[in-house]
This record gives sequence, structure tokens and C-alpha cells, in this order.
Amino acid sequence: MNCRECSEHLYEYLDRELTPQVEQEIRQHLSDCPPCGEHFDFERLFLDFLRARCRAEGAPPELKRRILRELFDE
Amino acid sequence: MGYSMASTPPPAPTPTPAADAEKRASFEREALVHLDSLYRVALRLTGNAAEADDLVQETMLKAYRAWHQYEKGTNAKGWLLTILRHAFINEYRRRTRHPETVDLDAIEPFSVFEELQDDDPQGTFFDRIVDDEVLRAIDELPEQFRETVVLSDVEGLSYEEIARVLEVPVGTVKSRLFRARRMLQGKLYDYAVGMGYIKGNAT
Repeated sequence: MNCRECSEHLYEYLDRELTPQVEQEIRQHLSDCPPCGEHFDFERLFLDFLRARCRAEGAPPELKRRILRELFDE
Repeated sequence: MGYSMASTPPPAPTPTPAADAEKRASFEREALVHLDSLYRVALRLTGNAAEADDLVQETMLKAYRAWHQYEKGTNAKGWLLTILRHAFINEYRRRTRHPETVDLDAIEPFSVFEELQDDDPQGTFFDRIVDDEVLRAIDELPEQFRETVVLSDVEGLSYEEIARVLEVPVGTVKSRLFRARRMLQGKLYDYAVGMGYIKGNAT
């Protein structure tokens, strides 16, 4: 696998959407090719950052009460 | 391919106290547990808390009425998100935001990683960007990118699950996700340069 092929699979790899075989080929390329490795590390960091920043928000407790009232007449 | 309602829906079970109790228990167990996810997606779709509340409430109501059509033990989250998205498209979108049509080819995938090579190759500037700024950047994305990135990066759905909720091919999910993430990176990079967190390359 070359650098171009590897970077075409960037997000599929980070999202765990590839077959084990392709995943293994990419892992091999990343350990042989530091620039690709750094790029993938950066993108992984970005996705982790995105998740961490967006998951804090949950439904307000009043909304849950409203829904329970509506559904079950509580 | 989508999480649609069955074309010939099974008849609703005859209501008896025992059947009602069982329906309620299974709805609480399989549907209500996804309330936070539905709320987060609703908030990003509508852009405001009051509309998100109404959209989620309506989604839960529709889901409860159609609960006998949901195949228990399958993907309740995907099923609920599909109901939510349909409700949004039919009843909220025209009141809140306008659907944008996006020319995919017109978006130049900007590589922040390459921009950062001299300045911050490890992307440490991300640590200084607060939640609100990230959510604002997501809210500025065109709708089809916004919903894709929220389902993937916020709610953790697989490509296949996203494709079913959005009723598009998996290849479309991939290309939207790629562009949405690059657009987000570009926005957050510009913000970080504006705040002085990184120097930015004069172009």
C-alpha cells in the first residue's frame, strides 16, 4: 500500500469501517511511514476532540418529565 | 433500506392492562434510553432549544404510537432517529432553517494538517477550543453535512446506520463525512488563528 491509497482510507480506518485485512495493510503502512502516521494521529485527535466537545449536552430533565406525562398520563 | 415502518403494519395489540404495562416497560427500556441522543440531534437540526424540545416530544409520541411496528431488539436508536428526521423535514425545517443544496465539487477540501506543519503539527490548539465554539462550527455547516457529522461523530452511528437514517447510499455518507470534517477543521482553524492560539500561514 502506498501513501495515496492509505490516505484514501483515512476516515474509514479511523471509523473502524474497513475489513480486517485492509485495516492491517494500513496499520503496516502507518508504522513504516512516519508522515502518514503523523497525519492519521492528527485526524484521530481531531475526531476524539469533536466527540469530547459535543457529548456533554443531554436532554433537560423537564423534557423527560413532559414526555412521560404525555405518554403515560403521569 | 431505511428504518421505515413496515408496509403492512401488524395490527396494534388489543389494549389490556397487562399489554399496556408491557408496552410501557419495553418502550422505556428500548426507546426512552435514547432521549439524550435524540435531543442532541434535534438541537443541531433545529438550532434552538425550544424547537428541539418539541421535536423530541413529537418523536417520542409518534414512536410510542407506532411501537408495535418496531421490531423489538433491533436498532431502536436508528428507528427513532429516522422518525425524528422525518418529523423535522415535514414540520420544522420550513419554519426554522432552509434546506441548502450543496455543490459537493465546489468545496475544496482544506487540509488543516498541512497548514499546521510549521506551527502546531500535534494539533494542541484543539485543547483551547471550548464546547460552544465547536457546536457553533457544526451549526454553520450545510444541513446535509451537519446531520451526517452529528450522527457519526456525536452519536457514533456506523456508516451503514447513517445511510439508513438519511436514506442515502453508504458512499454518500463517506463523501459527506469527509467534506464535513474538513470544513469543520477549516472553521476551527480560522477561529484558532483569529484568537491567536496559532499563527496561521499568510496566504
